[in-house]
Amino acid sequence: MKYSLGLTLVIVVVGAIIGMYLPWYAMGISAAIIAYVLGMKTKGSFVIGFAAGFILWTLAAYYTALGHPSTLPSRMASLLPLKGQVSLLYVVTGIIGGLTTGLWVWAGARLRQK
Amino acid sequence: MNLVKKVFPLLITLCVTYVLSNSWGTIPPFGKFLSPFHGFWVNAEAPETGEPTDENLQIPGLQKPVKVVYDEMGIPHIFAENDHDLYLAQGYLTAKDRLWQMEFQTHFAGGRISEIVGDKGLASDQFQRRMGSVYGAEQSFEGMKADPKAKVALEAYSDGVNAYINSLDERNLPLEYKLLNYSPEPWSPIKSALFLKNMSFVLASGTDDLKMTNILRQYGREVAEDLFPNYPFEESPIIPSGSPIDFKPVPIPASPKDFMGLGSSMQTPEKDPNIGSNNWAVSGNKTVSGMPILANDPHLTLSLPSIWYQVQLVAPGVNVYGSTMPGTPNVITGFNKDIAWGVTNVGSDVLDWYQVKFKDASKLEYWHGGQWKKTKLRIETFKIKGKKDFVDTVFFTHHGPVVYLSHEKAFKSNIPVGHALRWIAHEKSQELTTFYKLNRAKNYSDYTEALTYYAAPAQNFVFASNEGDIALWVNGKFPLKSKLQGKYLMDGTDPAADWQGFIPQAHNPHVKNPVRGFVSSANQFSTDPAYPYYLGWQYAPSERGRRINERLAAMSKITVDSLRGLQNDNFNIRARKLLPLLLAQVDSKDKALDELKRWNLQNSSESVGATIFETWVLTLQSFLWDDEFDSDEKVPMNRPAMDRTIHLLEHEGSARWWDNVKTKNKKETMRDIVSGSFQAALDTLKKHHGPLGAEWAWYKQKETGVRHLIPGMDALSRLHIPVGGGGSIVNATTTRTGPSWRFIVELSKKGTPKGYGIYPGGQSGNPGSAHYDDLIDTWAKGELKPLLYLDQPTQSSNRIRKKLTLSVQ
Repeated sequence: MKYSLGLTLVIVVVGAIIGMYLPWYAMGISAAIIAYVLGMKTKGSFVIGFAAGFILWTLAAYYTALGHPSTLPSRMASLLPLKGQVSLLYVVTGIIGGLTTGLWVWAGARLRQK
Repeated sequence: MNLVKKVFPLLITLCVTYVLSNSWGTIPPFGKFLSPFHGFWVNAEAPETGEPTDENLQIPGLQKPVKVVYDEMGIPHIFAENDHDLYLAQGYLTAKDRLWQMEFQTHFAGGRISEIVGDKGLASDQFQRRMGSVYGAEQSFEGMKADPKAKVALEAYSDGVNAYINSLDERNLPLEYKLLNYSPEPWSPIKSALFLKNMSFVLASGTDDLKMTNILRQYGREVAEDLFPNYPFEESPIIPSGSPIDFKPVPIPASPKDFMGLGSSMQTPEKDPNIGSNNWAVSGNKTVSGMPILANDPHLTLSLPSIWYQVQLVAPGVNVYGSTMPGTPNVITGFNKDIAWGVTNVGSDVLDWYQVKFKDASKLEYWHGGQWKKTKLRIETFKIKGKKDFVDTVFFTHHGPVVYLSHEKAFKSNIPVGHALRWIAHEKSQELTTFYKLNRAKNYSDYTEALTYYAAPAQNFVFASNEGDIALWVNGKFPLKSKLQGKYLMDGTDPAADWQGFIPQAHNPHVKNPVRGFVSSANQFSTDPAYPYYLGWQYAPSERGRRINERLAAMSKITVDSLRGLQNDNFNIRARKLLPLLLAQVDSKDKALDELKRWNLQNSSESVGATIFETWVLTLQSFLWDDEFDSDEKVPMNRPAMDRTIHLLEHEGSARWWDNVKTKNKKETMRDIVSGSFQAALDTLKKHHGPLGAEWAWYKQKETGVRHLIPGMDALSRLHIPVGGGGSIVNATTTRTGPSWRFIVELSKKGTPKGYGIYPGGQSGNPGSAHYDDLIDTWAKGELKPLLYLDQPTQSSNRIRKKLTLSVQ
């Protein structure tokens, strides 16, 4: 359990740094590299990656919106369309982040497997 | 473990990542778009608060540092040490707020939308280019470059826009690029020309020649001329009747032989007839301050981002404040210390069609003046997103492009096929020089000199100076025509039908310091029929012009606020005449009739009477004319104007037009049509809004909205705005069009001119900025914001929010 939490935390922190400087998909690739280098087990790897991606994307989105209060999230929640529900927008953002990170972690872990 | 099993997850992951990195149809690239480090989240801007902030930016290309001060509306006040730096900064700062809009509008103008949206944009793109938009822009670009000062402005502006584009990366692209998944290309000076040419498309591309020819073919010349008269029954022309003519007219060309063209065509929607504008200036002897006051409100399609962008431009020789159009240097309408000017559109006929006779299917030769002449070919290449390029050949006669060949389908119902287009927008021109000089004008003679460079779209340039002068020039390049030349489609083989030159600019209709103490325009007829030249047979309906002139004549002790009241005037001058005529024909127990009888003739936002009247008038026009003039969608025609209908109601109660020719065994009377249309109007309203009540409020029927430039983008639009007005009302706010920039300036002998203004939008094009739509509520209330006119960047004001230094890199 501790190991999983630690891994999740590492992926979140590295992803945040990578996200600030490299294209969006580099966050996923960095997570795959972490999984590969640390030799993560395939089983459960997607879940750890998903959790990390979900946390990273929702927290970062929330932090950005908090620092820059605007009507943009609610406009986007109408556009996507989520009936203007900003909370749903965070969930969708988290799911996209979780899905991509989860897949990359799974891919990285499987590549390492003997 | 085998290799396939080992890399299988990687392959899936790559696929998913690819899918989320790209847009699919109208679906944005979800991964990129939602990423909190790359996507739309990054575009949120915190509103500025508290103490003004200081920023420093390095801009390549500047010669000296430029100081910029932003006020609480996000309007930049730019202080440069020379013209070059001034326009470079204008380009840079405008792009900073409006880059996506600038590029999108010039892409649209240049027929390049399919590069962004794929082949669904192709028909519109092809129409733009066949009409010669790019050809016209190239011509006018040549003209602009001929003036060295305009050239500096144009090139520096372009460098400024590019400096901004080059400072962007994927993360800080404007939102719309992220949404549609593309990136800006470099800006170039010709894009400014494209933008200005597009104003001719917006304002001077209306054409009824085809529809008039269809009417001519169906009903003959007598009926056509009777129902579509060449001067309204009620009018108050821009140049007051009896104004002296200070020039000796040149001879008018002989009329070409009467010609019955082939007519034709299909049915699709076309330009909004509600695009018009108001402006006026009152002389000092009518104002409280004793100084002239000038007011202007150009009516255009209301959009987000707004077509206007406010700015103050200061450099040696110039200190001007006003509205600019993102994409072009200089201020378009505004004021400086000495003068103020504004514009409204002139509805003169500057676009004509010539039926072309080609020698054979190759279309390489056409018949004109008794001989075969060679066509010129222009190749247009369209890049289409996700598809192969499309190459199109456009045939040009000496008149201009053959917009559609006879076998093609026109993009709009008023565009004839098999005709060459002669259009003022294809002429070489120097509009930028006009604005450059107006920005620096000190008096009436500077103003008239500036106007000599202007070609299209023709505008009523209203003027006031702190020397006490007021004036108005109906200005542009006008073809020298015989009377009614170009009302109908013309014979392309007849040299007598060609345009025979232009009216000398000094002979354009104008008036200075008239006895009545004011000048005004609202798109109505430029002059009464005594003016020696023919400019056109059809202008915007006269109601706004008549109301403004009636009010200005009656007003005295005028202030900025009383003119603001006039800009927001909701009085329905049409109803004053028409309503009693209509009510005399109707017997009904419906409560709506009592409501209408009680109506105060104001199109105020809550008015129910206005809703009933306006709906009734529309229904009446349809009941009266559609049986004869809208019976075959392959033969599009116009309905006679409201002015003609009112005359019919008043004087021709037994005219043949009252009968509905579609009912074979019945002969309808005027009474049948008027009361039938009343009942039908009420039925429509009940269907849409339920029983008579507050739901029938005029603003709920009218549904004014300021819409994002991407069609259907409601989340980025402001809809259901509670405002009154209407198409024939001085407050000309309709569903999609309206006063796009209201401003009033009171000039001052020595001190600072007092400017007030508002537009329905905001300075920033970013939907994540507080300045995206922050001016709309003030606009909807009919209020104006005081405009901050600074002398120095160091001047203190509690309205300053941000200071920016652009320094040399």
